[in-house]
Amino acid sequence: MGVLDDLVTEFARLPGIGRKTAQRLTYHLLQQPSERTRALSAALTGVADRVRPCSTCGDFTETDPCETCKDPRRDDGLVCVVEESSAVSVLDRAGFRGRYVVLGGHLSPLDGVGPDALRVGLLEDRLREGTVREVVLATNPSLEGEATATFVQQRIAGSGVRVSRLARGLPMGGDLEFIDGVTLTHALSARQDVS
Amino acid sequence: MVAERISSRGFRNLDDFELDLPPTGAVFLGPNAHGKTSILESLYYPVLYRSFRNAPDTELSAWNGPGFRLTLDSVVGGESHRTSVGFDRETRRKRVVVDGVEVGRITDAVGKWLAVVFLPADLALLQGGAAERRRFLDRMLSLSDPAYLRALLRYRAVIAQRNAALRAGDAEVVRVFTDAMVEPGSYVVARRLQWVAAWSDRYSSESDGLGEGQRVSLAYLGNPDLAEPGGWSARVAEVERREFRRGATLIGPQRDDLQIAQNGRSLREFGSTGQQRAAAIVLKVCELLTLAEAHGRTPAFLLDDVFAELDRSRQERLTARLTGPGMGQVFLTAPRRDELPPAIDLEVFRVQDGRAYPAGATV
Repeated sequence: MGVLDDLVTEFARLPGIGRKTAQRLTYHLLQQPSERTRALSAALTGVADRVRPCSTCGDFTETDPCETCKDPRRDDGLVCVVEESSAVSVLDRAGFRGRYVVLGGHLSPLDGVGPDALRVGLLEDRLREGTVREVVLATNPSLEGEATATFVQQRIAGSGVRVSRLARGLPMGGDLEFIDGVTLTHALSARQDVS
Repeated sequence: MVAERISSRGFRNLDDFELDLPPTGAVFLGPNAHGKTSILESLYYPVLYRSFRNAPDTELSAWNGPGFRLTLDSVVGGESHRTSVGFDRETRRKRVVVDGVEVGRITDAVGKWLAVVFLPADLALLQGGAAERRRFLDRMLSLSDPAYLRALLRYRAVIAQRNAALRAGDAEVVRVFTDAMVEPGSYVVARRLQWVAAWSDRYSSESDGLGEGQRVSLAYLGNPDLAEPGGWSARVAEVERREFRRGATLIGPQRDDLQIAQNGRSLREFGSTGQQRAAAIVLKVCELLTLAEAHGRTPAFLLDDVFAELDRSRQERLTARLTGPGMGQVFLTAPRRDELPPAIDLEVFRVQDGRAYPAGATV
C-alpha cells in the first residue's frame, strides 16, 4: 500500500466518514497547493504533540492547567460535569461562569466503557478542596448520559454538596405541534409554577 | 380507514404494480409464489415501515433491482392521505413521505395507516415460545400507545447495558442501570396486565363466536408487583446474585408470557392444531379491535390463506365474523376459489406473475 491508500484509510477512520468521502478528501488535498497540505499536516502534528487533557478539569488544552481553570473570575463554588470537551464552549456561550469537569465519555458497558474510563476522580479531588457549593450534572439526555449522571451522583452522594441536573424541556422558538413526545412528556412533568 | 389504491415498483416479485382497492376489501386468488402474500405485505408495510415477515428491506427489493417504491392512497376519517416509501439498496436509505412531507423519523409516521395481519406462520403464537406472544403484545400495544413504544425501546436499551455490566461484574454500574430499568419496565408490565384484564372476557366471547366454546381465558404470566416502580427493588435483591452468575437480567417483562387456556388447560400444550389456529385468529381479531378503540378507526384486516386447514363450520363462522361488528376493510388470499367459503362477498382478483387481474378477465 502506498501513501495515498494510507491517507484514505486514516480519513476513513474518522467518525461520519466512509471510504468514498475519504477518497474525495484525499484527492481534494492533492489538487490544492502543497503548502496548504503541509499546513494541515503541521496542525495535526501540533495537536498530537501539544494537546493534552487538563490535569484539573480534563478539558483538552495546550497549557496545564488550562485557561478556564486559570481564570480567576470564575466561580470556584460551581462545578459543571460534562461528557466531552465540546460541551465546555457550548455552556460557556450559554453564560456558565463556574468550573468544569470533563469526564471524557459516558458509561456504556456494551462498548466496554466502565467507571475507570471516566475522569470522576477529578471531581472528587475538587470536592475535597472544600470550596464547591454545587455540582451541575450536564451529561447528554441519552440513556447512557443519564446513567452517567446517576453514577456520578451516587459517587459524590456523601459529600454534602448540592447536586443539580440540567432541566429537560421545550426548545426556545419551537412549536408544540412539532416537539417529540418524550421531550413534551418531560416538559409536562417538570412544569413550573408561574404564580 | 380504507386503502383506496396501492402501487409499487421493485417490491418483491410484484411487477410494476397498481391496483384500485374496493372499500370493503378484496380476495386475491392464485398459485403460490405469484405474489398474493406480497400484495398483503405491501399493504402492511406502511404500518411499521418494515416487512411483516421480518425480512430486511434489501430482501423486499426485487432481485438485483435498485430498491423499491411503495405508495398507498388511503381515506382516514373522511380525509385522503398518501404515504410513499422509497428504499435505495445502495445507500440503504429509506425515505417516507406522508402527504407530500418527508418525515424526519420513521416512528413519527407510524400510526397513520393501520392494518392487522394473519399469516399461516402465526400459528406460532399458540405453538411457539413466549417470545412470539410477547412480540404480539408489544406490537399491538406500541401501535395503540406511543408511550408504550418509547418505554419498550428504552427498557430494551437499558437491559442491553445492564446485561453487559452484569457480565463485566461491575456492581456499581449494574446499580445505575437497575435504577434506569424500573420506570420503563414497570410501564410495560402495567400496560400488558391492563390489556389482559380488559380483554380476557372479550377474547372468550370472540372465541365462542367462532365456535370454539366458552371458558377460554387469557392470563398474563409475570410478576404483577413489577407493574409498580416500587415493586422492583425487592425482586432485584432476590435474583441479583444469580444475575451476576448468568450475566443476564432475570426479572422484568422480557421474561413474561401470555397464556391462552380453555377450561384451565393451556391451549399451547393441550389444544388441537385446529383449536390453536382458531385461537391465533381470535388473538388477531382482538388486536384489530384494540387498535380500533385506541385510534377511533378500524384498521384493515389482512388474512393470508386463513381458510386452509379450517373445517367448513369454522370457515363459515369466520366468514360471518369478518363482516361482523367492528370490522372494516378485509383482504384475503387463497390458492383457489373452491377453498373459499361460498358466503365470501368480496371482489376477487386473480394474481399471476406479480400482477392482479379482475377475476372475470382472461390472463
